[in-house]
Amino acid sequence: MNTGYNLSSAPHDRTRLTTSHIMGLVLLSLLPATVVGVIVNGWYALAIILLSVGTAVLSEWVFNLICKKPATIGDGSAALTGLLLALSLSPSVPLYIPVLGAAFAIIVAKCCFGGLGKNFINPALAGRCFLLISFGKAMSTFAVDGVSSATPLAEMAAGRAVNVTSMFLGTSNAVIGSSVLALMVGGLFLWCMDVIHGQICFSVLGGFTVFMALFGGQGLDPKFLLAHLCGGGVVMGAFFMATDYVTSPVSKLGQLVYGLVIGVLGGLFRLKGSTADSFSYSIIVANLLTPFIDTYVVPKPFAYRKTANKQAVPKKSGLIPKPVIALTVITVVAGVALSGVFSMTKETIEQQELEAARASFRVVCPEAETFAESEEANRALEELGGGVYGSIYGRVKINEAYIGKDAAGSTVGYVVSVTSSDGFDGTITLALGLNAEGTVNGISFTELHETAGMGMRANEEGFKGQFRIRDVYPFKLTKAGEADDPDEIDAISGASVTSNAVINAVNAGLDFYQSVMKGGN
Amino acid sequence: MKNTFRGGVHPAGHKELTRESPLRLFDPKGEMVFPLQQHIGKPAKPIVKKNDPVLVGQRIAEADGFVSAHVYSSCSGTVKAIEKRRTVTGLMQDCIVIDNDGAFTPAADFTRRESAEALTGDEIIQRVQDAGIVGLGGAGFPTHVKLKPKHPDQIRYLIVNGAECEPYLTCNDQLMRQYAPEIIEGTELVLRLLPGAEAVVAIENNKPEAIAAMKKAAEGHARITVLPMVTKYPQGGERSLIYAIAGVNFPITQLPADVGCLVDNVGTLYAIQRAVLYREPLFTHCFTLTGEAAANPGNFIVRDGTSFAELVEASGGLKVNVRKAMVGGPMMGLTIGSLDAPIQKQNNGLTLLAEDPVEKAEKVATSCLHCGRCSAVCPAGLVPQLMAEAAELGNLERYEKKLYGLECIQCGSCTYICPARRPLTQTFKQAKAEIMAARKREGGGQK
Repeated sequence: MNTGYNLSSAPHDRTRLTTSHIMGLVLLSLLPATVVGVIVNGWYALAIILLSVGTAVLSEWVFNLICKKPATIGDGSAALTGLLLALSLSPSVPLYIPVLGAAFAIIVAKCCFGGLGKNFINPALAGRCFLLISFGKAMSTFAVDGVSSATPLAEMAAGRAVNVTSMFLGTSNAVIGSSVLALMVGGLFLWCMDVIHGQICFSVLGGFTVFMALFGGQGLDPKFLLAHLCGGGVVMGAFFMATDYVTSPVSKLGQLVYGLVIGVLGGLFRLKGSTADSFSYSIIVANLLTPFIDTYVVPKPFAYRKTANKQAVPKKSGLIPKPVIALTVITVVAGVALSGVFSMTKETIEQQELEAARASFRVVCPEAETFAESEEANRALEELGGGVYGSIYGRVKINEAYIGKDAAGSTVGYVVSVTSSDGFDGTITLALGLNAEGTVNGISFTELHETAGMGMRANEEGFKGQFRIRDVYPFKLTKAGEADDPDEIDAISGASVTSNAVINAVNAGLDFYQSVMKGGN
Repeated sequence: MKNTFRGGVHPAGHKELTRESPLRLFDPKGEMVFPLQQHIGKPAKPIVKKNDPVLVGQRIAEADGFVSAHVYSSCSGTVKAIEKRRTVTGLMQDCIVIDNDGAFTPAADFTRRESAEALTGDEIIQRVQDAGIVGLGGAGFPTHVKLKPKHPDQIRYLIVNGAECEPYLTCNDQLMRQYAPEIIEGTELVLRLLPGAEAVVAIENNKPEAIAAMKKAAEGHARITVLPMVTKYPQGGERSLIYAIAGVNFPITQLPADVGCLVDNVGTLYAIQRAVLYREPLFTHCFTLTGEAAANPGNFIVRDGTSFAELVEASGGLKVNVRKAMVGGPMMGLTIGSLDAPIQKQNNGLTLLAEDPVEKAEKVATSCLHCGRCSAVCPAGLVPQLMAEAAELGNLERYEKKLYGLECIQCGSCTYICPARRPLTQTFKQAKAEIMAARKREGGGQK
């Protein structure tokens, strides 16, 4: 009979779940946020993600090779660090940013301290903070199609209201992984799978909410609290960054303390700090406290706990399965964010949209000091009752029309705000400006969410500049590059739907001017 | 009363290999080897000499003191030698080797039932002691010592352990299905020693047939209830059962009797019934031969001293090459390098694996992630990840005082669950040994 069987000390069996399975689950949970990020921000965002992940994996492989250590990229933790870093970058950073950040995260923050399990701060956040400090300008530029604008957090800091719905869905002007809905789906999936500790994520969110309610100056105003919860990486931090095993405490009580520290510091930094990246820093500070917490906050064994010798009641938490709780949370939060907040912020948003519209009036009618209402126009609008204006222009509505007046009160031009519902992705609103003689001054978009790189190019000078100082009625659309006649406009190549909608809106505006306003006053 | 404990893991059961295989007596032909130490306590002293004739059920070695147990021959034949042989511990230990004549001539009529009505408590315990019964759950603690707690009237629960939470093993399942009335009789005998106790038969709910059989047998026994338990490892651990049934967690420095509990395996209670009513000493017990490498896995009643190799061979040998052989199951079992060792009283199974999960695990081992799964499953409420860290750094002070490392019951749940494949339990065994050695040194220095 065979001899020399393998010997080992009990137990001789192991569960299936390994380190790489866990990393795989976390990567999977980030998939929704990644997909939404790429859809919203375009292929450039995908390039950033691939570069970051690739650099992270390659850095670890090269480091291990040079240091003659066993290869560890198979455990998936390097790829995860790269993905987390990429999702916390602006979709408009130059491509060297994810490369440098991922290399720093893996080599300096992780490998130099002994690799997986030995790092003392979250590598992805270390990479991000390195980039924030070293390349502040590139990191804080959030540009969509070359037009840079403020992030929702900057808007909030400036005291302006923000569109919580778009923050929730991830369509706002923020980092690649900013879709709160997608992050929550992933985070709650991890929680259901017992991969992340609920104590951490919920104490981070709870601590932050309470702090903001107490010191944010707006009390329990849900509009204010939700806007803060949905912005600036709070959800990403709570579910994916703070819950990193290696840099968070092991005991439940320790995790609670750690989560509260993050929530409170995050709130403090956000209210009083100079940067929008309050959560990156607050999590890193809490990471540094982790060894201290683990040294002193250690649970006693069951036999030494005060309640140990009481007949314990059956576990209550098992009554409602986690997935049910998670789905309920997602549904409720999504419902509140999408409906409640929408109606709460509707007025403010409308107010802001009006202001934005006014600003665009000035662009297309620069000589005017004030914009006066036109009786004829108002009467005509009232008759229309918000209906479609002239079916030949498609689904076009005239929103409002004003007469531009200079300081002396004489007419210097006209503006008409037109909305077309025939855009490729929803509605397009533009302001059409004419001078006193009825020559088109130009157009300006107040609402445009077409496909990046395609329809969005309507906002580029090459297209909208064609409407500048043209005494034409109506405009005609030709194929790109074929406009010869004075009434022809080059279409945006590959975006005929958008081009048509714009031309129709402009012509409808011109029609309205010609038939209603011209000659008035 | 609940039906489980806190923590625990769900290793793959593999019980389907043998669960429907009824117990059958296996009569070996080869020489039989009886180690003098098959129990916790002092080794027994041989009372036979080389060339002495022996019969089945004849005492061949005598307990040396109270915490020790007699050894009985399970075959008839002649004493071939008293020498060192390799045992399941892997060590060379003193053994009595008997040349088996194959006749199995009994020393007395073990089929004649006596009435136990008139027996006093002490007489019952005496019969158990005379029979050389040890705990058949695996530890092998002499049963007569357990049956004599300091305050028998303060024992609230006699826990009859039929949980059988160890993967692969099903012999207790079959024992309960086939011998339920006998086990209940054994339980009633022990209850006579414990006036204030009620008996709870704890069986994991993956054994519905055994639960039904035991419930049926317990009908009309007012002091005995059958409690189905959650199927979870280590449900059959003494402390898990006591927590589930009596609701008590107690420090490792205390015994079950200190919290009013007494836990005995179903196999032990069956042996007690045989010893008290039939005067049959312990020389057979139930046993599962299992594992993917065994050609014909099944349940047996084996005679002590039978060679593992002979049992495997006689049952049909091996299907594939064995990579790992475990006496017991994969969670608590002892690995053996060769099958050339005798089955001891407390060995309840042999698991033969074609693949070694440990070997595979070592290939995907990483550093500790601090994921906390180990503390989530620890049935003692410890924090294995911090304990391992302290032990590896040599900080035994923190290990013992702050982390209560000595409370570890070495069930192996943390090692089983660890995604980084850290050898946690193994580290704790080592740390405990070091602390105990240091205590001994200090104790010796004071004298």
